[in-house]
Amino acid sequence: MSVLAQPLPEVNPLQDPLRFERRVPPCTIVIFGASGDLSKRKLLPALYRLFYERRIPPNFAVVGSSRTPMSDDQFRDRMKDSVAKFLEDAPFDEDIWTSFAQSLYYVPGDLNKPSSYDDVRNKLDQIEKDHQTGGNVLFYLSTQPSYYAEAVLALGEHRLNRGNGWRRVIIEKPFGHDLNSARKLNDEIHKVFDESEVYRIDHYLGKETVQNILAFRFGNGIFEPLWNRRYIDHVQITAAESIGVEGRGGYYQEAGALRDMIQNHLSQVMATIAMEPPTVFDADNVRDERAKLLRAVRVTKPEDVPKYAVAGQYGAAKIGGQDVPGFRQEPSVDPKAQTDTYAAVTFFIDNWRWADVPFYIRTGKRMPKRVTDIAIQFQAPPLGLFKQETKSGLREVRPNLLVLRIQPEEGISLRFLSKSPGSGMRVRPVSMDFNYGSSFGERTPTAYETLLLDAMAGDPTLYTRQDMVEASWQIVQPILDVWAHTTFTFPNYPAGTWGPKESDEMLARQGHVWRIP
Amino acid sequence: MSTSVIFPAQPEQILKGLGKLWTSLAQEEKQQGKPTVLRACAMTLIVATDDPDGGYAASQTISELMREHPSRGIVIAVSPEAEHGLEARVLAQCWKPFGKAQQICCEQIEIIARPENWPNVGPTLIGIVAADLPVVFWCRHNAALSPLASRKQKAGLEAVMSLATKTIVDSKGEDAELRLDLLSTWRKLGRTVADLEWTRLTPWREPIANIFDNPCREIKFSSFRKVEIAHGGEKPGALALYAAGWLSAPHQADVSFTQAQGKDDGLHRITLRSDSEQIDFERTGDCMILRSTNGRSRRYTYKEASVDALMTEELSVVGPDAAFDSAFARAQELLND
Repeated sequence: MSVLAQPLPEVNPLQDPLRFERRVPPCTIVIFGASGDLSKRKLLPALYRLFYERRIPPNFAVVGSSRTPMSDDQFRDRMKDSVAKFLEDAPFDEDIWTSFAQSLYYVPGDLNKPSSYDDVRNKLDQIEKDHQTGGNVLFYLSTQPSYYAEAVLALGEHRLNRGNGWRRVIIEKPFGHDLNSARKLNDEIHKVFDESEVYRIDHYLGKETVQNILAFRFGNGIFEPLWNRRYIDHVQITAAESIGVEGRGGYYQEAGALRDMIQNHLSQVMATIAMEPPTVFDADNVRDERAKLLRAVRVTKPEDVPKYAVAGQYGAAKIGGQDVPGFRQEPSVDPKAQTDTYAAVTFFIDNWRWADVPFYIRTGKRMPKRVTDIAIQFQAPPLGLFKQETKSGLREVRPNLLVLRIQPEEGISLRFLSKSPGSGMRVRPVSMDFNYGSSFGERTPTAYETLLLDAMAGDPTLYTRQDMVEASWQIVQPILDVWAHTTFTFPNYPAGTWGPKESDEMLARQGHVWRIP
Repeated sequence: MSTSVIFPAQPEQILKGLGKLWTSLAQEEKQQGKPTVLRACAMTLIVATDDPDGGYAASQTISELMREHPSRGIVIAVSPEAEHGLEARVLAQCWKPFGKAQQICCEQIEIIARPENWPNVGPTLIGIVAADLPVVFWCRHNAALSPLASRKQKAGLEAVMSLATKTIVDSKGEDAELRLDLLSTWRKLGRTVADLEWTRLTPWREPIANIFDNPCREIKFSSFRKVEIAHGGEKPGALALYAAGWLSAPHQADVSFTQAQGKDDGLHRITLRSDSEQIDFERTGDCMILRSTNGRSRRYTYKEASVDALMTEELSVVGPDAAFDSAFARAQELLND
């Protein structure tokens, strides 16, 4: 049998990755749900910023689609206001906007109506000719989650999943509302798109500081030998928000903190912290390791849920002299809602590296401040030669704490013990800080800038794969099931505090305490 | 900015001065009971200048660069008006990121030297470069770079270069032939050398490179065998030579230079020719226009990059620069042809 050799595409010898931005091929991004909040606050500002920095090719195009009837120009005007308002750490430039806006189009349509997809296809055909996009299309589902399966199936029925170039689809979280629905959604999507064409977005993974965890762990030789149960006592992952539900009471009431944060963002952060080193830094290997880690997390038995998981809900309080409503007093919230606005979970990873090391994860709304960080508490030295002076006398300390700060003050701190100046051997912990902002003064791209660019370039490293999503549902599902049948005495923590006392007790049972971030 | 007194440029004195400077900055922290200052340093950046106003300008540039490239900045101002032979002072450049309470500070050492003391600067520097970090030397000492430089001036330059992991010069306005010869000599000695004229080419290079990435473009770069460079000035400068070297190196394309009449020095147009197509890139004022005989036309905004911006880019390239190496080698071939 003879095989006709296809000529290899010519490598462009003029490209200079050292100085030029990474090249992404021209393409059209179709945003379903374009008049929604996510488009206005995150997607369009991110695309504008990428255009501003010339990180996307000038012949790209964006097609917005939603039910709101609008012309191209009306869509452009509306998006201009949003971009100017929600652009993060960057100026809005009128001239650049004018140039950017020429690539914005709008197709009004209802995801339930077949004619809407025909309209989108007609627009894509026109853009392919006018912009020379090569037929590359990235679909972004920024709709209500209940439309995901329907929209993807319709894309298939209208043959929008295939064309002259590549076709990819980005799906926002939540990916399912439990394990079964996530599996079902995966099955539906795979009827139309191959897994390699599906980009499930978890914007936490796009944050520079989360990506830096990989650089920190696997780019340095000094920490990895200590990164195991022999030297690490426990790990605390905190994602606290000072705000309440901010008008999203209706959605949040159904979701809750465990579903909204721990099932996706924080379990992926835990996987990044705890995964084994990939053999090669590419999408498949990195995601294999993340998935492997998530599969190694011990699934909590229903009878152990009260021991390893704590639900909380904030009540009314006075913060800074102002009255703050409790969750049940928020608009669109059932006054008897059993929603968890706070969740704390203890996970154990059953592998050789992490056996018996608790990973404590907590997240909540209306906490004292907005902070996300990961604290790795190393074990105390085998012999306590030095005691730390405290108000209540001398005590032994566990000095070595490594804190990876995700937001808002991105950086890394290492706490160690140092002798206080003067006579006598008095010691106190000091901190060695790396501050992202001071070492890399340049503006940090937002997570959506990073992730959109990656999807356009065909790099899914920072996107979650089917097995990762299902594994993360697997570890929270027993907790969700037990909580669904529990009547909590809510509220159990006042707004502006670090959560319910049961959460402190959960750690105390292991001899640990929550740190104050 | 905090300053301290001027003292003889002895490494120990300078380091002691730096110690005092940080202690005084820490006092403020102690009073306020919270961290107010963060010391940042990712490299040593040495700038040597013999321009009478060069010391001040270099300080300003370092303070701009510190946001992206925090460094221990060492400014060597060589001036016949220096009061003493070799003296120094230390200061901290600080800035506060938007919305943050903590200032980020970089230390800076200013060394003022009379021309006859320039050869003695090297031994001082050995003791004061930040340990274990890259040392970048930005040479703005024109007399030492000149072909007419004295033996002592060359020795002074060599002493500083021997400490540097990378030396940066700016060949703008210089005789390109002489300058490329000098850089070539350094490169043969194993020095890592960069030229801001190459950095100035990035806004040209990036859009040109990108047009050959377009999947719809069937004509490949390899089919463009003729390169024409239109430059200002009588002879092509380093910028024009680097452009020619970069575009002709991959396939040894033919190169011709033309003088753009009545235009300022620098690069004005790049033309690429194949058997079936001609692509022109032309700079006109604040924009760059691409025109192709197949009907394609595009405008790009073009802004003359400031020295701060050029240095910011150049300091980001710490290892080998393959594109520059190949363009430089080809530019030298073109000069010798």
